[in-house]
Amino acid sequence: MSDTTDNSMLVVLRHAPHGSSWLREGLDVALVGAALGKKVHLLFLGDGVLALATGQQHGPLGQKGTHPTLDMLEMYDIDMILVDGKALTQRGLTADDLQLPVSLIDDATLPEIFARHSSIYNF
Amino acid sequence: MTAQANSYGITVDGRVIALDPEGYLADLEDWTPEVAHALAVREGRVLTEEHWEVIEVLRDFYRRYEMAPAMRPLVKAVGQALGPDKGKSLHLMKLFPESPAKVAARIAGLPKPTNCL
Amino acid sequence: MLLHILNRSPASSRVPLDTLRAMGDNDWLLLIEDGVYGAVGPLADEFTSIQGRVFALKEDLVSRGLENRHDATIELVDMDGFVALTEQATQTVSWY
Repeated sequence: MSDTTDNSMLVVLRHAPHGSSWLREGLDVALVGAALGKKVHLLFLGDGVLALATGQQHGPLGQKGTHPTLDMLEMYDIDMILVDGKALTQRGLTADDLQLPVSLIDDATLPEIFARHSSIYNF
Repeated sequence: MTAQANSYGITVDGRVIALDPEGYLADLEDWTPEVAHALAVREGRVLTEEHWEVIEVLRDFYRRYEMAPAMRPLVKAVGQALGPDKGKSLHLMKLFPESPAKVAARIAGLPKPTNCL
Repeated sequence: MLLHILNRSPASSRVPLDTLRAMGDNDWLLLIEDGVYGAVGPLADEFTSIQGRVFALKEDLVSRGLENRHDATIELVDMDGFVALTEQATQTVSWY
């Protein structure tokens, strides 16, 4: 276990786009933190990795998607994008299928990421 | 139309433009440069060339990201588009006093920035 | 030590699997709400890898009529025990 504490906010996104508002709410928390000057790290876990898949559109009734918000993250200086490699593989995706450059995380690293961050927001 | 909805609005070239209680456009599609001018007049502001270039940065930001930026990303976007001298809070504070992210978004026809204090 | 709080049953959700993957060697797990279904019968086997560090909220087992059916390896805590666990943890992480 890592004994160095990271004061960055860790926002964990575990829900897919369109199906619920959890992804949007998690992204909002990340943006508010960044707007306040906090360093923000994002971790996409489980279904959350689907938020990064390329080719997303608005909903059939014109509902806004989350993909433009992901493109906007760099404007908020959110550039640490961690992705659960196993979740990607389970869903038939690779890093090449994602709309942003990401750092892939393996099973051994996952608990270290949780242990290291002093403020975790799990969505 | 309820009476309340009618109580917020401006008239531009004979067209009634509905506003929300905070002065943002009710329908973002209503925006034109003339509307921006009328919104500025309503708030007692005079738009110069320097205001217009920031308005264009904001409209481009919204086209790309579908959200109005908070102050930090606004400063960054202005810096990227107009150069480091203009990508400073001080410059934006001078152009859009009080709260640049909110005021400039309002005149540029964007929704109110939600991640902004 | 992190206290992970889980409210999903391993029978109906994959969330418990991610919770386990995120847990460090000293972290604790508290099952609440529908999470307590994981404390009963063969479903409790899902948590053998963290045996001794799993708790279930008594009140939620009682309301489901399962108070005396929980697996012996899982320790029951009441609301006061829940508060005590959160006080010992550096941080809590909720999984839902």
